[in-house]
Formats: sequence, C-alpha cells, structure tokens
Amino acid sequence: MEQTMLRCEGLRKSYGDREAVKGVSFSIAAGECYGLLGPNGAGKTTTISMLCGLTLPDQGEVTVDGFVGGTLEAKAAVGYVPQDLALYPDLSAVENLTFFGQLYGLGGKELQGRIGETLELVGLADRGKDRIGTYSGGMKRRANMAAGLLHRPKLLVLDEPTVGVDPQSRNAILETVGRLGIAVLYTTHYMEEAARLCDRIGIIDDGQLIAEGTAESLISTHGGRDKVHLSCDGSSLTELSAACLELSNVHNVHEHEGSLELTTDHGPAVLSAVVAVATKHGVDLTGVEVRTPNLEDVFLSLTGKELRD
Amino acid sequence: MIRVIAWNELHRRLRDRSVLIGCLAAPLLMAAVLGLSFAGGASATPVHIGVAGASPQMLTAALHASQLPKNVMVTTLPSQQSVKNGVADGTLDGGVALLPAQVRLHTLLVPIVDPGATHTPGFDVVTKGTSPLGQEYAESVAAGMASVLYAGRVPHTEATEADVAINSQSVGRGGKVNLNFFAPNIAVVFLFIGSGLGMRSLLMERSAGTLARITAAPVRPTQIVLGKLLAIFLTGMATIFVIWAVTTYGFGADWGNLLGVLLMAIGATAAMCGIGVFLTSLAKTEQQAFGITMLVGLFLALVGGNLLPSGSLPDAFQVLALGTPNGWALVGFGRLDQLGEPASSIIGPFIILLVIAVVAGGLAMTRVRKMVEP
Repeated sequence: MEQTMLRCEGLRKSYGDREAVKGVSFSIAAGECYGLLGPNGAGKTTTISMLCGLTLPDQGEVTVDGFVGGTLEAKAAVGYVPQDLALYPDLSAVENLTFFGQLYGLGGKELQGRIGETLELVGLADRGKDRIGTYSGGMKRRANMAAGLLHRPKLLVLDEPTVGVDPQSRNAILETVGRLGIAVLYTTHYMEEAARLCDRIGIIDDGQLIAEGTAESLISTHGGRDKVHLSCDGSSLTELSAACLELSNVHNVHEHEGSLELTTDHGPAVLSAVVAVATKHGVDLTGVEVRTPNLEDVFLSLTGKELRD
Repeated sequence: MIRVIAWNELHRRLRDRSVLIGCLAAPLLMAAVLGLSFAGGASATPVHIGVAGASPQMLTAALHASQLPKNVMVTTLPSQQSVKNGVADGTLDGGVALLPAQVRLHTLLVPIVDPGATHTPGFDVVTKGTSPLGQEYAESVAAGMASVLYAGRVPHTEATEADVAINSQSVGRGGKVNLNFFAPNIAVVFLFIGSGLGMRSLLMERSAGTLARITAAPVRPTQIVLGKLLAIFLTGMATIFVIWAVTTYGFGADWGNLLGVLLMAIGATAAMCGIGVFLTSLAKTEQQAFGITMLVGLFLALVGGNLLPSGSLPDAFQVLALGTPNGWALVGFGRLDQLGEPASSIIGPFIILLVIAVVAGGLAMTRVRKMVEP
C-alpha cells in the first residue's frame, strides 16, 4: 500500500460571514502529483494555507507524513511555494536560500551543496549571486520554487506557480515539477497544466471539492462527447445536417450561424464519413474542427460556468 | 533560530542601507551638529566670571555640568552686590548670583532652556554689553547651577550658603555647556524612532509574502518575534554607541562612568524598543506604523524632557515625565554626566527601564505573535 503523504479531512474555514472552504477532503500518496483545479476565489489558497500551518482550520484535520498539520514536524516535511514572490529582492538567490535553508536546520557545507543543487535544478546556477531584484519575472518564480525545494521536502506545495510567467519559464517550471518524484500539491486555474502534470486532479469551486480523479476519468465521466464543427456553404446546411444525423455514432447535429456541430463518441473516427457525406451531397466544406472534451468542459459541466470566470 | 532571523534582518537592513542611515549616518550627523553647537568656538583670551550664593559643592558640580572652556576663570564672591561691582568696574566679564528666595523647581530650567532669557528666575546674571563672551559664560554657569539644583542632588539650603572657600579656578574641558545633556537626549529619541521603524519590517514582510514563508518553516512564532526584537535591540545599541563615541572622542563630551553608561544604554534601548515595538504592533499598515511612531515619539520626547527639559513644562507634565522611558533614561544619564556619579547611582533608573521593557515588550509579544501565528 502506498504511503499517504498528505491527508486532509473535512477542512472548513470561514472569514467573517463568508465560508471560504466548505469541508474539503483529499489525500496525496508519496510521489503523487495532485492538482487542485479551480477558478480564482475557489478556495485553493485557503486550503493550502491550512495544509501548511499558516491558517488554522475551523474544522477538520490535516496530516502530513503522519504528523498533525501545523506542527514543526509537519512543517519540516512541506516545501511551500507561495503564489506571490516570497523572497528578499535586495538579497541574492544564494543569500535568500541560505536564510530559508537555515530556517529548516540546514547549515555549513550541506547547505551550500543543497543551494548549488537546487539552483541547478531550477536553471539559475549561473545567476545565483545576482540580487533577486534584478531577475526577470520567470526567474523570480524559479527562485521562489528553489526556496521551497531546498530542504528536500516530502511534500511540495505549489500555489499557482506559473501565474504571470512567460511561456519559456512556465515550461521550465513544469518540467522541474514533473521530474521531482516527490508528492506534489499543485494548484492552478490552467487546465492544461493540471492535465499535463497531475496524476490526479481535484476540482474545487466555491470552497467545495466537487470532483476528483485522473484527468481521463474526469473527462470521460463529466466532459461529455466529442464535437465536430463543420463550416460550409449556408445554402447546403440543412441537407448536410440531415445526412450527418444518419451516420452511426453521431448523436446530435446542431445548426448554428452558418456551421454545424455534431456530437459524437469519437470525433476523429466519424470525420472521414462526414467528409464523404459532404462530398456526396456536393457541399463545399470551408472548415472542419474536431474538439475532444477537456477539463474546461468538465468544469463547465459540473458548475455551469467557465473555469476562468 | 532567533539568531538566524535577527541576522537576516540586520543583513537586509545593511544591504538596503536603512540601518546605515538610521544607526550611523543620522546619529553621526546629529552628534556632529551637537558637538559643533555646544563644544566649539573656544577663545584663548581669559574671561573672568564671578559667582555668588553657591556652595563649593554645588559650584563644582555646576562648573562640571557647564563644561566651560579652559580660558574661563571663575571666582567666588560673597554677595550679589560684589558680583555687580566686579562687572561694573571691569574686574569681571560677567557674573551670576543665586537668589535662593526666588528659586522654584518649575522655573529652574529656564536658564537651561533659554540661557539669554530676560527674566531668569532664581538667578541674577550680571553682564555688560562690551563682553559678549562674559555674558555667554555667565549664562552657562547659571544653567549649570540650575541643572544641579533641578537634579535635586544638592539641597536648596546648601545652595544658599554664601561662605564659599573657592577663590579662583580655571575650569572646563573644552566644551561649552550642554553637550553632555543633549547627547544622551538625542540618542534616546533615536532609539525610539529606530525601534518603531525597525518593527515595521514585520508589516513589510507580511505584505511581501516572506512572513508566510517564514511561518511555514519549522520555526516557533516566539522565535520569529524574538529574532526581530534582537535585531532592533542591536541596531539601537549601535545607534547609542555611535552617538556616544562621536560626542566623546570627536567633541570631548563626558557621559560619565563607562559601566553606568553601558547599563543605561542597555536599559534605555530595551525600554524604547519595547514601547516602540508595542506601538508598531497596534498598526495594520506600514504607513500607520510610521505615523504612530512619529506621533508618540514626539510626544514622549516632549514630555520626557528630550526636547525641552521637563522642568520647563507644567507640573503635571513633570510627573508624566517619570512615566516615560525617556524621563527615566535622562535621570540615569543625568546622574552620570551632569553629576559625575558612579555606576551604582543608576541602578534605580536602570531597573525601572527594564521593567518598562518587560511590560511593553510582553504586550508587544502578545500582539506581534498574532501576526505570525496561524
């Protein structure tokens, strides 16, 4: 049986009259990357704050590596990478890491060695002595992550680490996270990141965890069917619509503003048949697009709103 | 862990130069201004000052406090009239007569605050227009006597004795008057402002997100707060050390017994840090902290006697002065530098300052812990 690195049970947190987290429960196994996917204000950061011991839950329990959440032992097992850059801009990366490493009991040659390794890991080895204030936005984010990795935590908690980051740095961050091999809790509102990185994903909205599973299982359960969009000469739409509806695996055809949207179990498979039907009926297709459901659709299906609303 | 957090605080403040400005540049500048104001301009021409109505003990203490240049010759005279006669016939460049019947506690500090005041209660400062230096030094002697009387170390009855034995003496170590008095005063004000501004760092770290990262580490909230306090204490000690060193070695000020000065520096720094940090803990933003520090700092400086000696303020304020760390710091420093007393004389003020430090620091700890606790 895999060791559970993080377990949280029935977490609740209110700020005044507003309940930010409403009974969130999930667990993360050792080596597993778990994504907490939800829009801004869904309760991701509050949940993380409770897991890291920054905020006391009103109700519920947190266990990290077998230790009660918020204790010094639990904190020592967690590497926390906050959403905002939490480094001193007047100090260099090495000086920042030295300080944060010392907070975790590191020192001497061990600390210096770890700093070198960690800067290498995030691709900042050649800029370690430069002040953080001189870094680009993406470099700052990578340095921010280095501070969370320095003490080799058993659980890395990343709170939206790629917000406002250029594509190159975003890719570097995702690659780094992908090869860590430790338990990771990754919050994001970018579904592509969650789908790319995470072994399992929890979808959180309005303080509640509303679905959980692998990206594939979530999509197959909640994402709906493939959609095939056809653009063609408007005068032929009705005729083509009727013909497509007769194809096997096409469940529905919807006509909308000069295009057709076919609902099917497997878009790519019906594509050749659709093209053949169009040719047979002398319809000139001006555009074809196959769209498979993704986590955005899952979120839309579950909440009735867009993920980035 | 406390040391790690304190060093990080000092390291950052050194890097952004705020500690250099607050602990070195500003005190250096202020010490230089004080030194040049109170210790410069000595003349080689002998200046003769006559004094009547003061006991030898009191006169010695007053001259010590006055720090007159070496070229000033002080002669004791039997009466107010003989002082007037000496000035009139040109034997003296200036003179002072203590008028015991007019001495009141609340008016004693007028000569210190305003040496050239037209009406100087309790003193008859006799001068003639042809000798500005004589007038200045006579006023300085009056100020010295007033400060000695105010400090209460010489009973008024002794001060009224006229049977003095001192005839003529050369006095002073090259300073004018009040450098000894003002140097610790300014140091105490700097301590308060520095400690209040130092604790703003916690508010800044909270808004910058680094505080969250620190509290996410396996560090107890108390260690975080104590680390910050240690850094503030050390910068406070550095501030007072700079002012002491510059005024002592640069301008010849005498703060008194070294051990006593060290104890008073520790006590004053601890107390001012405690109060400064407590006040800062009441603020929610950096701007609020800045405003509170400046406002209360100015109030305490006024009431405690840093800007205007508390004796020149109403009686109620004089009582209030003893409720301020500034007031007690000045009592202690005054015993050392004005009266030349040994270190043992400041045990009382030192303990009171420590009590203030513990009470204010305890309250501050309670409040500041809330900032770093989950």
